[in-house]
Order: sequence, then C-alpha cells, then structure tokens
Amino acid sequence: MHFYESSIITTKDGLHCQVYANEHPVNSILVKPKYIPTDKIESSALQYRFIAGRKMNRLNLWADKEALKNYIEDFKQKYPHYILPHNKLFFSIPIDQIERVYFPRTGLKELMAMPVVALDEHLKNVHSFVSFLAQSGVKASDLGITYSTLMGHYNSQVSDINIVVYGKQNFWNLMKYLETAQHSSLRWKTESDWLEYYTKRNRFAVFGKDSFLKSSMRKKSEGYFNNTLFVIFAAEKEEEVHTKWGTEKVEDCGVATVEGTVIDDFHSVVRPGYYGVDTRAHTKENTKENNSIDGNDGKDIPVSSIVFYSRDYCMLVQKGEKIQACGNLERVTTTDGRVHYRVVVGYFDSYLDDRREKEFVRLVE
Amino acid sequence: MAHFYESTLIDTVDGFQCKSYASEHPPGYVIVKPKYIPANAIKGDGLKYRFLFEQCLIRFNQFAKKAELQKYVEQFRKTFPDYIYDCPIHKNWFYVVPRNKIKTIHDPKNGLQELLKVPLRDCDPYLVLVRELVELLTKSGVSTSHLGITHSTLLGNYTFGKSDIDIVIYGKVNGWKILDFLKTATHEKLRWKTDEEWATYYQEHKTSESSHFTEKEYVSQMQRKKYEGTFGGTVFTLFTTEEPEETWFKWGEETYEPLGVVTIKAKVVEHYSSHVRPGFYGVDHVEFLDLETALKNKLNHSIKLKKVVTYSIPFVQQALAGEHIKACGLLELVTPKDTKHEPYYRIVVGYFDAYLGNRREQEYIKMVEA
Repeated sequence: MHFYESSIITTKDGLHCQVYANEHPVNSILVKPKYIPTDKIESSALQYRFIAGRKMNRLNLWADKEALKNYIEDFKQKYPHYILPHNKLFFSIPIDQIERVYFPRTGLKELMAMPVVALDEHLKNVHSFVSFLAQSGVKASDLGITYSTLMGHYNSQVSDINIVVYGKQNFWNLMKYLETAQHSSLRWKTESDWLEYYTKRNRFAVFGKDSFLKSSMRKKSEGYFNNTLFVIFAAEKEEEVHTKWGTEKVEDCGVATVEGTVIDDFHSVVRPGYYGVDTRAHTKENTKENNSIDGNDGKDIPVSSIVFYSRDYCMLVQKGEKIQACGNLERVTTTDGRVHYRVVVGYFDSYLDDRREKEFVRLVE
Repeated sequence: MAHFYESTLIDTVDGFQCKSYASEHPPGYVIVKPKYIPANAIKGDGLKYRFLFEQCLIRFNQFAKKAELQKYVEQFRKTFPDYIYDCPIHKNWFYVVPRNKIKTIHDPKNGLQELLKVPLRDCDPYLVLVRELVELLTKSGVSTSHLGITHSTLLGNYTFGKSDIDIVIYGKVNGWKILDFLKTATHEKLRWKTDEEWATYYQEHKTSESSHFTEKEYVSQMQRKKYEGTFGGTVFTLFTTEEPEETWFKWGEETYEPLGVVTIKAKVVEHYSSHVRPGFYGVDHVEFLDLETALKNKLNHSIKLKKVVTYSIPFVQQALAGEHIKACGLLELVTPKDTKHEPYYRIVVGYFDAYLGNRREQEYIKMVEA
C-alpha cells in the first residue's frame, strides 16, 4: 500500500511518528516514532521535549547504545502493536491506532493560501522559500512542508524548514534548478557547516573527510534561506515506487561490504532509496557461521543495489562514480522467481548493535 | 449538569479549537468561545488568519469590526448550527460544543504536571520561564496541583518573545491567595506595568470597554489588578477557575428574563467571585441612572437588584467589597426554581450577543467614588 513518506502521524496514545517509507503493509504504516510520551516508558538517555501538553522522549537512534537497546526493549513490551511482525525491526502504526495524519501537501496548500501579513517570521520565510522553489517549474501541488512547521510547534530561532517534493523526477528537476538559481536569501552550506554536521554524527571512522565534502558540497537539498536551515526531501509517487511491499522474499545473508560503480542514482533521493550498482560484492566479514551462499563462499556475490533507510546517504554518489557500502547482504527472490542480492544500510535494528558503527555508504575517489 | 473547568481548550471533530467560557454548563454541552475555526469552512473577512496544526484557521475575535463580525457569526450559525445553543432558561444564546463533538480536551493541570517532569536542560527558554513563574506562584502557598497552563503554552505552538504565558489557577480561594501574594511579591523577573505604561496602553489600545474610563480611572483600576504582568519580559496572564463545589450558581436552578439595558450605581457587598468567568459582584444600595420609562414601568420595585455579572475578563476584579461601582449591562429578572428563594434582578455584561449589537459599546463595570 502506498502512503507518502515524511507525513506525520499522531497516534491515539499520543505518539508523534514520521512516516518512514512510501510502501507499507496493508493494515499499517511504517514509521519512525519521533516523540514518545513518557507515561509508559522513559529514558533519560534521550532528550525530553514538552509537546502537545506532554512530556515526551525524542527517539534518537544515535543515543547511548545500551540505553537505546533498553528503551527499544521497553517499547516492544509497552507498545507491541507498533512493532511489525517481521524478521527485521520495523515500527508500524495500525490504521485503527491513527489519531490524525498531518499531510505536508495539505499543510503547504493551507499555508500558501494565508495572507502573508498574517504569518509570523518563520512562516513568512517558508512562504518566501516555497515561492522561490516554485520558480523551478515544480508545481505547488507537488510540494509540501513537514515536521515542526507543519505541526505548528516550531521555534523561529532554531527550527529548520523541511520541504517535501512529491515525485522523484520533480525532485531531480528542482535539484537541477537549484544548481544555478540565485536568490538574495539563499546560501549554501560551507565546508565548515558540513563538517560540523559530520562531526555530530561521529562518522570520521568510516568516511574520508575529502570524499564526504565532495559528496556533500554538491548536494542542493540542504542550505540556508534567510539564515534558516532548509532540507528538501523527495517522496515517491505511487507510480514511481520501485518495490511494492510484500512482493519479495528476503533472506538475511549477514553483513557485507560491497564496492562497485553506480549505474543508477535516480532512486537515491528517497527513503528507502537505492543506488543501482554494477559490481560484485565481496564479504569481508559475515555474521553467518556458514558463509556459503548459492554455492559461493560468500565472496564475489553479484549485488545489484545498495539500499538505505538513512537520509544521510541520499545523493552521495552519482552515476558513473565508485561507491562502497557496508550493510546487510540480502538474497531477494521476487514473485516471478528471479533472485538478486542487495546490501541494506540503516535498518532500525542496525542501530542497536555494532552495525551502527560499521554501516556506511560512501563515495570512493 | 455539569461542571467543566473554564479556560480549558477543546478541539472539536469539525476542526475548531475552542476555549471553555464558564465552569457551569447546560446538559450535553460545554459553553465555549470558538478560538480558531478552519478558514475553509467560513470566510473570515475582517478576522485574523493563523496557520496552526496543518491548517489555515480564522482567529475568532469578538472585537473585530462589528459589521464583519455580524456577517461571520451569521455564516457560523448557518454552517455550524450545532455549535449555537439557544438557551430557554436565559432566552439568549451561547456558543457551545456539543459533548458528542468533542475530539480532544487539553487539560491544563495535566499539561503543567507533564511540563514539570521535563528536565530543565531540555526546556527551551520560554518553558524555563514558565517553570520559574510557576515556582514563584507556589510561594503563595498554592501547590502546583492547583495550577495549570493553557493556550499556546499548553499546546506547544508558542513563539518565545511573543506568546504570553497563560496560567490557570484552580479554586477561587487559591486565586485570591495568588493575587494577594503578587501584591507584594518580588522577583528579579517579575515586573508590573507602571502607571505611565498603563496610560500609554490606554491611549494605544482604546477599546469599546476602555472608552468608559478616563485615563486616570483606567490606570488606577488596572494597576491594582495582579492578573497580568510580565515575567522575564514575557506577558503572563492568570485565569482563576472554579472548583465544582465552588460555582456560584448551578445551571438550571434559575431562569432569566432579559428586560433591557440599564446603567446603575451600587455599593459592592461581595467581590469573592469577581475573579472568575462568569464572575459577579454582590451589590446593594442600587441606584438606576438612566432607566427608560418603558423599562421603569416593567420593574417591580419590591424586587432587589443583587448582582452584577461579567463574562468579560477586562471587568473582573474591578471593585472590592465596600467600594462603589457603576455598571451598564443587560438587566435580567432572575427567578430561582426553588421557591424558598426570592426573585431578584441582575445585570449581565459580556454575553456573546452583546458583541454583535449596541451593547458592545455600552457595557462596562467600573469603580467609582461613593
């Protein structure tokens, strides 16, 4: 079932969740819980926020790992209905538990219909930014706003502007436009802005600084508008979704590192996104005792794609460039019996073990 | 029925955000003032727009230009008839939320208790101020379990530097305790408007209500009220709400016959319930100042005028027992259901219909010399 990524769902028991994919099981929506009330479970290792009259924990997958593991275990106990029965950890909200859906498109349409004089400084800035983006030719109806701007609990001093672009082609068109577009309020992130972000994620162990900067500096999805950080996301339209939920049989083949050349970067703008690669995977280490895969010893497995759930890995590598990634190697059987392999980076459970530090996607110079 | 705390926010199934406007309510309904109404339901010419919670909303303002407000309310009545209660016992109408239209009740008490549990390190500067103000208020002897937060402070859509801090005090005794405490309380962040600031405010914010006051009268009356001040540069407002056992009337125990607009002068004999909504001043030694002949003929001079009631916050805490007031409002004959109690007259200021007619400019309550 299709349901747009980046929409916000509040549940009947007070969770605020971010829709985390565009394809979903029939009766529930895959999400990342963003704010979780503290009446049932609580962790002082997570940041607290006072939102909608409640003390909430902000789920941060980069929090202290032991505390995060304990918290997720508690979550499973107290909110079992939000855990999808699956061999991987997925959070999902059953349709009957939805209190309200905040649709980015609806929100932006409402915002743009407002008299500008009635808007506060943050909203005026959003209004002005969207008007600027609309000059790219992307229709206003293919744009949305999300997170705190949509929900109304933004703080003008610190909140970002989060824009959703509906349709991958629209997103690429917008990126193309932004390569040359000019506006007096527009400023791109500097090397030092990017490095600050990079340091926060503590990813120096797996990324080379230079390749990180090369990948990041050319991204036109993040920058500043009137000194407010903006981030532009893409959400797949229903007709664009690359894999329908439930149409594949997946076997976990352990952790693998893969290196190769990107032959398709079109889908690298969404979540989950992927890079199509022309390569052969080589397993440097594998969590499986028996490493024999399809009669192979676990090395030189023909991998066709590198899939990721973390937005950090969007648009890092372009077509024709060399890519390296470490993640879960999966053997995928499609409904018509075809078999292919992929590496998946950023499943929720990867944040709970040593994969959190190991997994990556990077540009190889 | 039916107690439901005043100053509580209610979301309705039709997307309104409303604020309860009394503590006693008719069976099946909550009396409210609509606060935000979706703009796609009714056009809001003359009213302000807000973008909140994914929606373009109209901020309902009873002080909008009268002709535009009248038009809006007329459309509102047609589009949302369920939210207007034509009250047989008042022969008047109220904005209401039918119980079956309530989607969410935002409880100020729970909200504050939740906020107090958030570690200070995770509170933004606005919420830190709220916490500090609450801490100061508890020095009055009122515990946090009798306090709440409401409006944007509760819902989280505040803007630091612009949004007020809105505090609800539960219980009339607690309300007076805090208001009395604030008369002498000191805190480095607590500041009251000076006479000069009130005078400037008077000049810049002339309303139909303040037009009945000279600058001097306005300044002296506002200066002694302690329900609005600034804390750390942010305006705070205190709303006192009645506990169930404290409400000064029970819905349905009296009927009210509107008679006409009158102006009186009277001595205040009771002000205990003058800090809630609706609030009242008990009065005697009543002198009618501008009684029309027709109305004069209707009056039964053996029946006393005993109360001056206000739904309008600017007229709370206007006078104390022993002082005199002048008031203009709708005269009503009150007939208690229980025949052991005698009928009496009262004046009501700030019914919803008053904002749509001449009474908006006419009505007021002010302290005067004896």
